[in-house]
Amino acid sequence: MKFFILAYKNLKRRKLRSFLTIGGVAVAVAVLVSLLGFNAGYQDALTSDVDKMGYQVVVTAKGCPYEAATMILNGEAGLKFIDEDIYKQITSDPDIDKITPLLAQLAYDPEKMEGKGGFTNYLGIEESYMPLKPNVEIIKGEWFSGNDVNEAILGYEAAESEQKSVGDKISIPGKDITLTIVGVFNRTGSQEDGTVFLPLKTTQRIFDTEGKLTGIGIKLKQIEKISEFEDRLYPIASIQVISMSQVKGTILNLVNSAKVLIMSVAFIAIFVAILGVINTILMSVSERTQEIGIMKAIGASKLDIFKLIWIETLIVCTLGGIFGSIIAIIGGNLVELLVRKAMPYAPSGKLLLITPDLLAYSFLGVIIVGIISGLLPALKAASMRPIEVIRSGE
Amino acid sequence: MMGELVVKASKLKKEYSSVSQRIVALKEIDIEIKKSEFVAIMGPSGAGKTTFLNLVGCLDGLTSGKLNILGCDPTGLNEDKLSRIRVEKIGFVFEDFFLISSLNALENVQLPLIFSRNYKNNNRPRDLLKRVGLSHRLTHFPNELSGGELQRVAVARALANNPEVLLADEPTGNLDSKNAQELFTLFRDLNREKGLTIVVATHNVKLGYSADRVIHLSDGKIEKDERLVGENGR
Repeated sequence: MKFFILAYKNLKRRKLRSFLTIGGVAVAVAVLVSLLGFNAGYQDALTSDVDKMGYQVVVTAKGCPYEAATMILNGEAGLKFIDEDIYKQITSDPDIDKITPLLAQLAYDPEKMEGKGGFTNYLGIEESYMPLKPNVEIIKGEWFSGNDVNEAILGYEAAESEQKSVGDKISIPGKDITLTIVGVFNRTGSQEDGTVFLPLKTTQRIFDTEGKLTGIGIKLKQIEKISEFEDRLYPIASIQVISMSQVKGTILNLVNSAKVLIMSVAFIAIFVAILGVINTILMSVSERTQEIGIMKAIGASKLDIFKLIWIETLIVCTLGGIFGSIIAIIGGNLVELLVRKAMPYAPSGKLLLITPDLLAYSFLGVIIVGIISGLLPALKAASMRPIEVIRSGE
Repeated sequence: MMGELVVKASKLKKEYSSVSQRIVALKEIDIEIKKSEFVAIMGPSGAGKTTFLNLVGCLDGLTSGKLNILGCDPTGLNEDKLSRIRVEKIGFVFEDFFLISSLNALENVQLPLIFSRNYKNNNRPRDLLKRVGLSHRLTHFPNELSGGELQRVAVARALANNPEVLLADEPTGNLDSKNAQELFTLFRDLNREKGLTIVVATHNVKLGYSADRVIHLSDGKIEKDERLVGENGR
């Protein structure tokens, strides 16, 4: 039996109080780990979403650039249209490496989501789409047989949720058209997994938008040249150029300002937890005045008592750290669900990224908190004089 | 070794002062206690018995005079040095037992070994509890033990680090006469078997007179110092 066991036994003696204190530390740690995990996860997921898009620059009709970018990230349409001529006009720009026209459309499907109804995204594309999407490939079937054929390629999740495969037929709600599925894309982890892809011309025909596009995806030879490129497009009044890295930065800025607020809440939680630990240990020191006096009378040194009380604090904080991490890992999915509902734009990857590194740092943090919050009670206990206790016991 | 002194006090004075009054608990007393002596300190409440034991036990500092315990002068030593002396050389038994309630009998006896960093002597606490007749109560907690048993655990704890002197302050104050008698018999046996020096403060005249020597304190002064060696078979 050494100091550790002695400290542990004392905590065990007041189970409820120790449990509540450990719970307080655990909640603070869980909040902190979740927030830091969310911070890292959101940034990673957003970066990966933007990278998977393949385009560095998107040309759209004029409007709120962030709304447009968000819609593009979500694979949605509902935007103003731009003329297909603009595509032809800028395609010869010397700075462009790859370029592809896009026509996004939405259709409400009352049968979707097991009868609850929902929107299906349709994206009209051309063969130039594929070189811009290095991570997209056809895993089943093949590319469209022509430019204006009633054929569709399904995103991975679209195929899975509709239970359709190559050769099956699908119809577009509200349109009197039947499409034959000719291919299925691989899972990319982006929003486009749920999209139905059609040839551009077919989309224009079905949705009565001949000669129109909703966007142009562009990869420049050198991204640094973006401002010159933008300047050249400036005279075309009806369009705007959106750089995805700007979009990323802006969304992160929005998230960051919310994060600062949440972080202050987390720090308050930690501060309250520290006070809780100090209070619990101080209270237990006061209650054990006699016991500590006895220990000193039978030979415990100041250091012995200091160590004993300090170890108690460390046990509380360490256990709180362990339970907090477990809560963060288990509860992370729940938090992710809540965050997804609350955020205007949530990337498709995992939002909460709890890495071993993050856990290790949080743990280190909680140990430091333990060391600091144990100081006061331990010093108080160590400075008690045994004679006073013996006398009061007389 | 009979001549070796465990306690040598000369003109030992202890004063307690508060705002309203000053109490002189010990008035310049001279006492010498030799190794292997079994001494009873007797006297009414407030005579200075506990004060004397606290000074000898390095729990309190003296006001004036000279004190030497086992060759050390405790005056001027810092608290850690005093606790070192307490843990290594002195065993304490208190009237209120003062066991740690969250620890069982065996763990209570192990406690001084932790404080003296003596982790090797694993069997000693068990042997000591056996010696005081509690080998069947090792894992019992203080609230599961009788008064007599509690005090015997306290004696075993006091002996854990093999001290040179055992100080007991009213050890029978909370015991019935049978248990009180048994405790004194245990003290007597420890004194005879190992030559352990024992100093007991007690009210109990009958038990006090079972020691080798009885020092009567009254109002902070030595009233009488009786040596009973021979009468008690030594």
